[in-house]
Amino acid sequence: MSTIPPDDTMPEGDDFVAAEYVLGVLPDQERQDAARRIETDASFARLVSDWQNRFDPLNVQFQPVTAPSYLKSQIDQRLFGIDSGRVAAGASFWNSLAFWRTVAVAALALVLFNFGREYVLRQTGPAPVQLVASMASDSGPMRSLAVFDGKSRKLRITLVSGDIPQNKSLELWLIAGKDAPVSLGVLKSPKVTEFDVPAPTAAKLRDGTTLAISVEPAGGSPSGAPTGAVVAAGAVSSI
Amino acid sequence: MTPEGISELISRVALRDRSAFDKLYTSTSAKLFGVCLRILGNRSEAEDALQDIFVKIWNKADRFAVADTSPISWLVAIARNHSIDVLRARKPATAELEKAVGLAEPSLNPEQSAIASGETKRINECLDQLDSDRAAAVRGAYLNGESYDLLAIRHRVPLNTMRTWLRRSLMKLKECLER
Repeated sequence: MSTIPPDDTMPEGDDFVAAEYVLGVLPDQERQDAARRIETDASFARLVSDWQNRFDPLNVQFQPVTAPSYLKSQIDQRLFGIDSGRVAAGASFWNSLAFWRTVAVAALALVLFNFGREYVLRQTGPAPVQLVASMASDSGPMRSLAVFDGKSRKLRITLVSGDIPQNKSLELWLIAGKDAPVSLGVLKSPKVTEFDVPAPTAAKLRDGTTLAISVEPAGGSPSGAPTGAVVAAGAVSSI
Repeated sequence: MTPEGISELISRVALRDRSAFDKLYTSTSAKLFGVCLRILGNRSEAEDALQDIFVKIWNKADRFAVADTSPISWLVAIARNHSIDVLRARKPATAELEKAVGLAEPSLNPEQSAIASGETKRINECLDQLDSDRAAAVRGAYLNGESYDLLAIRHRVPLNTMRTWLRRSLMKLKECLER
């Protein structure tokens, strides 16, 4: 036979690559390429999720098996903790939330010292609410510290590490309970940005409220809701 | 837990809510551990994989909002992809290949078939319309993480032939599911 019957030719196209990625059969290099494409190529990502949805019904065949109980504490240790019994490795120490929380407290002490003197000198009456939030993400370099002064309703935020991406904006959001995120504005500088928080929004700023920073198109989210990846988040606590 | 409940937990995890992370672990770790065990076939690797998977879930939870899948499917996809990556990174691969060639094909037992949902019945019906060895190749890839190399060895065909088979089977499967 000198001609190849059509039945033996390999069908080509992204749809097959997407299906093969979902099945998990792609050779290593192609698998890595496909994984990267999912992050950058929306139409390819859509093909992948379509195939994922087609194969989902097979997931019932994965029988649940209770995992040993010590696994969860090992996961927590990796994600959140510097175990007091162990010396943390340098890199993970610098990247740990615990470390940045400590930095937040230390920075706060300084802030309090400076602002505190002014208040003591200038004002009488009840002490104003002071809130602080240390925002971080375990997956990225962004660390940020925000301090809110309840009396002036001014929120000051600074990037402790990370920077504002080129041609994009970082937008600060307040998330109170199950309410939709409320924009507090766009960071104007990686050093210090000061926001005047309107009274209704300020009323929601309290212990446990979340502050989060997302990457948005330059100038901020066009829709009024976060559209990009959350690069740092943290809970507000009073001091 | 309902899909809505799991969705909410994932969204809260994206906002760094640790109690939500604890609850998500409690309600989904057994399923994901089952995925790791099935694909990796040994406990110690599956335990390591499950840890890595929940670290990924914590770090990637904000991506769920843009994913066009149900929450449990999103979680299972993370678990499958990670387990398959671990499987592929194993050395030496040939020993694993030889071992895996001897594994029995997985199939539903009657009890599982009886409780299978309509959608599960449908994909199984569509798979059953394929030649039986091709359906087995698709199931083996999805459920056991079998690679083209391994499938080609098991079915005693060149790798490119295997790939052609499988792509054609996928095309037929898609047509059947969309009918």
